[in-house]
Amino acid sequence: MLSRIGNSLFWLGRYIERAEHIARYTKVQYVSSLDAPYAQGREFVLESILDMIGISYQYYASYSQLTDEDVLFFVTLDENNPLSIHSTIGYIRENARGARDSISLELWEAINRFYHSMNNYTVVKLHNEGIHEFSQKVEENSSVLKGCIDNTLMRNEAWMLICLGIHMERAIQVARILITKVKDIEKIDPAKLGGPVENYQWTTLLKGAESFDMNKRHYKANPNRRNSLEFLMFNQAFPKSIAYNLDVVHKNIQQIAFHDEKGSNSLDFMAGKLAGQFKYTTIEETEKQVTEFLTSTLDKINQMANKLLEKHLIY
Amino acid sequence: MTQSTQHQFTSDVLTNYPLNLALLDEVFNKEGKVNTHYTKVLDQFSCYSVEDFKELNEHAKLSFFNQGVTFAVYSDKSKGVERIFPFDLFPRIIPAAEWQRLEEGIIQRNMAINWFIHDIYHEKLILKDGVVPAELIFSSKHYTKAMLGMKPVGNIYNHISGTDLIKHSDGQYYVLEDNVRTPSGVSYVLSNREAMKKTLSGLFRKYNIRSVQDYPQHLLSMMQSVAPESADNPNCVVLTPGMYNSAYYEHSFLAHNMGIPLVEGRDLFVDKNFVYMKTIYGPKRVDVIYRRIDDDFIDPLVFRPDSVLGIPGIMAAYREGNVTLINAPGTGAADDKAVYSYVPAIIKYYLNEEPILNNVHTYRCELETDYKYVMEHMEELVIKPVDESGGYGILIGSRSTKEERDEFKRIITANRRKYIAQPVMSLSVHATFIEEENVFEPRHIDLRTYALLGKDKQFVLKGGLSRVALRKGSLIVNSSQGGGSKDTWVLEE
Repeated sequence: MLSRIGNSLFWLGRYIERAEHIARYTKVQYVSSLDAPYAQGREFVLESILDMIGISYQYYASYSQLTDEDVLFFVTLDENNPLSIHSTIGYIRENARGARDSISLELWEAINRFYHSMNNYTVVKLHNEGIHEFSQKVEENSSVLKGCIDNTLMRNEAWMLICLGIHMERAIQVARILITKVKDIEKIDPAKLGGPVENYQWTTLLKGAESFDMNKRHYKANPNRRNSLEFLMFNQAFPKSIAYNLDVVHKNIQQIAFHDEKGSNSLDFMAGKLAGQFKYTTIEETEKQVTEFLTSTLDKINQMANKLLEKHLIY
Repeated sequence: MTQSTQHQFTSDVLTNYPLNLALLDEVFNKEGKVNTHYTKVLDQFSCYSVEDFKELNEHAKLSFFNQGVTFAVYSDKSKGVERIFPFDLFPRIIPAAEWQRLEEGIIQRNMAINWFIHDIYHEKLILKDGVVPAELIFSSKHYTKAMLGMKPVGNIYNHISGTDLIKHSDGQYYVLEDNVRTPSGVSYVLSNREAMKKTLSGLFRKYNIRSVQDYPQHLLSMMQSVAPESADNPNCVVLTPGMYNSAYYEHSFLAHNMGIPLVEGRDLFVDKNFVYMKTIYGPKRVDVIYRRIDDDFIDPLVFRPDSVLGIPGIMAAYREGNVTLINAPGTGAADDKAVYSYVPAIIKYYLNEEPILNNVHTYRCELETDYKYVMEHMEELVIKPVDESGGYGILIGSRSTKEERDEFKRIITANRRKYIAQPVMSLSVHATFIEEENVFEPRHIDLRTYALLGKDKQFVLKGGLSRVALRKGSLIVNSSQGGGSKDTWVLEE
């Protein structure tokens, strides 16, 4: 397979996953803040959204004030924001077009439908239907695309590279969500923590990563700091957890069997070491310095992605 | 051809067919009777009402959209405007014997052109013997010094040729152009056939029509036949300028149907005079490249230094015999419109045969007598620049104003090598469904054929692209100028 095609497939997976997470996080944060127990300023929620996506700086370059309308538009439909959901869906289609001969007709058509439905989405419609409706469409379409990926593609390098992109991006997005929410909570006046205020924050964290329901069933307890972090970081059986996704990333890298250098510099070694670290670390060891731990994890994932892109997917 | 039968039209779409006796109509003879090889089509069409026909037409168009056969015009990175190449449901039919002769003529012509290209980059015998003026070749902007002394595998230069033919009012075929650089349009031939089979399957049962679907196989085996000898299992690729090129659909279609990689310049690199493609498993050697990039852009070290589409060093690898380029660089020196006029002489010189296909008589403005004739008879002639394609820069004398003619006289005099003139050829017409009016009307057509030359093998696609000048009275069939196309049926004996 040409490296250029491989590159398109890898980014196809990453952008599908990224659009979904940005949409869901924005929806959950914004909608749940509407009746939050702790009367946070709206700005608190809007900043949390911009921070998770990592676009605060870009936002303030275009807008002087933080308003609901501006932030929601900037995150969703703004064509001038290269990290908006609209732009991200454009990249999904571009990458799919570049790898058209390696994916199925079904997947290509589903991507096209998604793209066209988003292209026709107007600001007025966003305003009338609200962010909930918009994000719901993105999440549903994302599920359709992943359904096509799983049900219509051969289990060859094309499929593996898309999956590699999806799972690597999911580990990144979940880590970003965790870092953002832990920092959000640290900003709250300690006197007000505990009870419903903190409970609310852990609930939105879990919902923002589509994990609330499964967390409750697993722990049979209300969400708290420890079980929320443990569930999303270390649970080997839960498909949103970082541990689960890093394990899939490692397996995909082994299956693709890149002709790699051996030893501690190889992609296989990097991916295996990172997955192993998550497999054999407990929440007790990390919870005191969780943002540092997660930030260093993000660095390692990025190093791995760069290695992959520069060594095997460069053209 | 002259046999015909009286026809009774019951269909609204054909009742008032405006037969023009001044023109050669492919379907009807001078008495308004249907030529025999068209009777079964007419029988079938007569059963359709206007509504039926409109429906069939929409059905065929949908088939094109679903196949993704579209011209793309891109305004920005993510939004594209896509439109289909207009397609007509009335097939153009060529009887077996007529085709047989055409095919022989096409092979003869392209073989001779191949010898000619070899000669002008080696001994230059034809120039020394004065059959073709040396000055004409050396002044061509397509004459490529990097090809001097170069001997490609199998001695083949114009592996793929797209000879353009017309049928004149005298009933004879004439060659209009020899396209021996990178002729395009073959994907439309195959897609037209697919659409026709889906739309008018019943009609196919009544004829014995030669298949066109084997073209990709022939193309691939031609490519393999000219692979460098050092390649055991040759890696053949199609090289495209990229997805924003207007013919990208065709590049991807051909690669897909041959089952070989579609690469861009940035996927390839040259190391120690070998060409490699970058794969996820590391570099893989490339042996044969069907390149859909013009000579000028293929190697920035040899041709245009600003080209970002090409591969630095590829010409050196080519000259070393480590990779085959299809078509060879420098073939353009043979399809210049002034060289065209010498093709009959070229055929006689190399093959010692009479040309099978006619050439349109051509006045070369660089010759004194021809130049005088052109200046005095401009109203009766078509004036063409020798090195433009796509129907640009042409003056049709009979439709020009005095000012336009004076302007052309001035520019021809300033650059006589650049212009040739030909008598106005009367392209045959063919009944064509006109969507706006829901009737059939005659429209001018030509025929683009596709010939392959490999090592010891020749192949002509049994059919071709019958291009239609959709504008009433227009003689220009190029798609960039409002042309459409028809499926072309070559009949079995």
